[in-house]
Amino acid sequence: MTDMKHTDMEEINIATDVLVLGGGLTGIKAASEIAGSGYKVILVEKDAELGGRKGPGTLVGLKEESKGLQDLEDKIKTDSNVEILTQASLVSAAGVTGDFTARLLKGAEVIEQNVGAIVVATEFATGALNEKYGLSLADNVLTQSRMDELLASESDKEKFANKTVAFLVSLGQEGNPLVLERGLRSVLALQEIDGCDAYIYAGDLKVASNGLERMYKESREKGAVYFKLTEKPEIVENGKTISFFDSVARRNIEISPDFIVVEEEMCANHLNEELAEILRINVGPSGFLQSDNVHFFPVRSNREGIFVAGSTREISSLPSAWTDVENIAIEVKDLLGDGKKIVAKNKAVVNEDKCVICLTCYRCCPHGAIYWGDKKAIISPVACQGCGICASECPMDAIQVGGFEDEDMTEKVKSGVVSGNGTPRLLAFCCQNSAFEAGEMADMFKMPLPEGLRMIKVPCAGKIDLDYILNAFVAGADGILVMACHPGNCKSENGNTFAQWRVNDAYRMMEEVGLEKDRLCFVGTASNMGSGFSSIVVDMEKRINELGLSPLK
Amino acid sequence: MIIAERKPFDEIKTMLKDYKKVLTVGCGTCVAVCLAGGEKEVAILNAELNMARKIDGNPIELGATTLERQCDMEFLDELENVVDEYDALLSMACGAGVQFLAERYPNKPVFPAVNTTCIGANKGVGWYEEKCRSCGNCVLGYTGGICPVTMCAKGLYNGPCGGTDRGKCEISQDQPCAWFLIHERLAAQGRLDLIMEFQPITAWQNQKPRTLVQPGYEKKKEAG
Repeated sequence: MTDMKHTDMEEINIATDVLVLGGGLTGIKAASEIAGSGYKVILVEKDAELGGRKGPGTLVGLKEESKGLQDLEDKIKTDSNVEILTQASLVSAAGVTGDFTARLLKGAEVIEQNVGAIVVATEFATGALNEKYGLSLADNVLTQSRMDELLASESDKEKFANKTVAFLVSLGQEGNPLVLERGLRSVLALQEIDGCDAYIYAGDLKVASNGLERMYKESREKGAVYFKLTEKPEIVENGKTISFFDSVARRNIEISPDFIVVEEEMCANHLNEELAEILRINVGPSGFLQSDNVHFFPVRSNREGIFVAGSTREISSLPSAWTDVENIAIEVKDLLGDGKKIVAKNKAVVNEDKCVICLTCYRCCPHGAIYWGDKKAIISPVACQGCGICASECPMDAIQVGGFEDEDMTEKVKSGVVSGNGTPRLLAFCCQNSAFEAGEMADMFKMPLPEGLRMIKVPCAGKIDLDYILNAFVAGADGILVMACHPGNCKSENGNTFAQWRVNDAYRMMEEVGLEKDRLCFVGTASNMGSGFSSIVVDMEKRINELGLSPLK
Repeated sequence: MIIAERKPFDEIKTMLKDYKKVLTVGCGTCVAVCLAGGEKEVAILNAELNMARKIDGNPIELGATTLERQCDMEFLDELENVVDEYDALLSMACGAGVQFLAERYPNKPVFPAVNTTCIGANKGVGWYEEKCRSCGNCVLGYTGGICPVTMCAKGLYNGPCGGTDRGKCEISQDQPCAWFLIHERLAAQGRLDLIMEFQPITAWQNQKPRTLVQPGYEKKKEAG
């Protein structure tokens, strides 16, 4: 982001211990992988035992794998690089990547740990859906989780010998491959029991996941019967009979199963919200810990050094959660290295004389990169992404972003207001991630661009100060464009939103002073919108031509 | 801290209409923290004034400076060499700062650019809530840390009154009853006996300006 050749660099020391939150199978794997790269890991689990929900959805019918999992758990228990804290929870996490101070509560004891990175590895939660089918849980009506437990026990398993088991899948909710996978694993396990028959009543069979199609076929070949339905079958007397009208056979098909297994919904862990608040990371749809933003790599949160694995961020099967964990291990290594980091000195600099520690920057930073000391706000050079939202919000102009200092920007605004033979003087503040590239593309491909247009590059639309806009008008600009990324597409999460708020504020002020609001325009763009850029600025010039030149010149 | 908000632009514009060269003076303490009168707001207000006066065909020349605090003479002294260049001063400080600035430079017209709202606390970015009326007789020790003078519509030192309505004040369902909250907090802390303690009426002292000398500084004040 900053030009390395012209930037002073410095070496800083960072903490290299890693905190893993959640001692389920995802957390165990994360501890093992990260400790394997040579970092000390503190693994925190709220329950008394590691392993979490070991059975559900992941293990049934996979004897080999479950042995491997037990081995893995045993391995980290003896690994001197892994410290395991059970019945413990995170209370607070101050600081930034490379220097988090995590306070953990274990019983009455508060344990403080200085860590460089944090991995959140909560497992998904399940919810019974029997009511969706008008069923009450009973000896013959089981949730998928209950079924998993029974199948995991050699003695309980036997009760399914010579019985008929019906599964209800994806008729009570929009299907999900993992919901189907859990059902299929149970079916395959039942087929190993003498005389056990399985019937599956399903809506859409979602097999878009590794090995699912194979499992489905295998179960069919072994005799499982699938009924693909468009609506729920008729269920009488809490599962005594299940029937539906088969439109091909043109008759009612009725079965009296001994057991009914009802699918479960899978949702975000209830701990997520609390953890998000403590860690200051974003909560996305349905309580998973990642907001919808195309710029986030799969395992990254909005804060540098805080990673989200597997079902923490979306419903994940064990293999995909573990893929996340492997990616996190690489990211952690990349981030923490050997504990020494070369960082730019001027990424974002706080002027101690000006800073009044009003906490505005701390509250506005989308990356959680700011904290404060005795005399001023402190911006972590490791966590800072250089977006400049803080600098533009600072009421004392106490923060300067490398390459985009206020003094230079003011000069650029002034010199950018130029007339091309009496044509409108247009200034476009362009986010370097989108509009600036689009503008360069438009220029390179010789697309029509107004003669009086000048682009001013900003690191993010969040760095477009309100006074830049107003002073551009003072300097005589006839029209100003604030060009940000599309909604939900900002690398800094809400830099475009801040820019939009400031434009709205500017509209209010333009109204107060009597300047036509049409002279200012906020637009969302993307970097590949060369011709879009061209048409936006050409339209703007047209609009200004209709209004006439600025009364301020 | 002291909370303030920018005055309506038209009011500021009207106050300054006869002046051609004005120095806008920001204040780097409370009003900077509450995003009303720091360096950034000085720049924004100046830009706005600049535009408006140009459009009106009555251009204005504006200077900008932000002092550490306008409620300390030593910081106001910093303007000594520049004040003469201006026809008027526009202060973005609270009422105390504006008056002190006017007192320090009595020959210059001084105008306020903000309205001083209250003594309050920060609830989020740009979001403040009044917490103290500076009544001069703090009872927070008896009221579970909830100020009845600020929170109660009647400012009662002994409450609640008959207008308490299931946790709300009779003036509005959006307004919690201060004394209900006080009761809840004291009860939760097992200190409910405090609510029965009678608080003597306050001689409202804010009829005339109050002065305060911190203990230990009296002698120093006398010595000048």
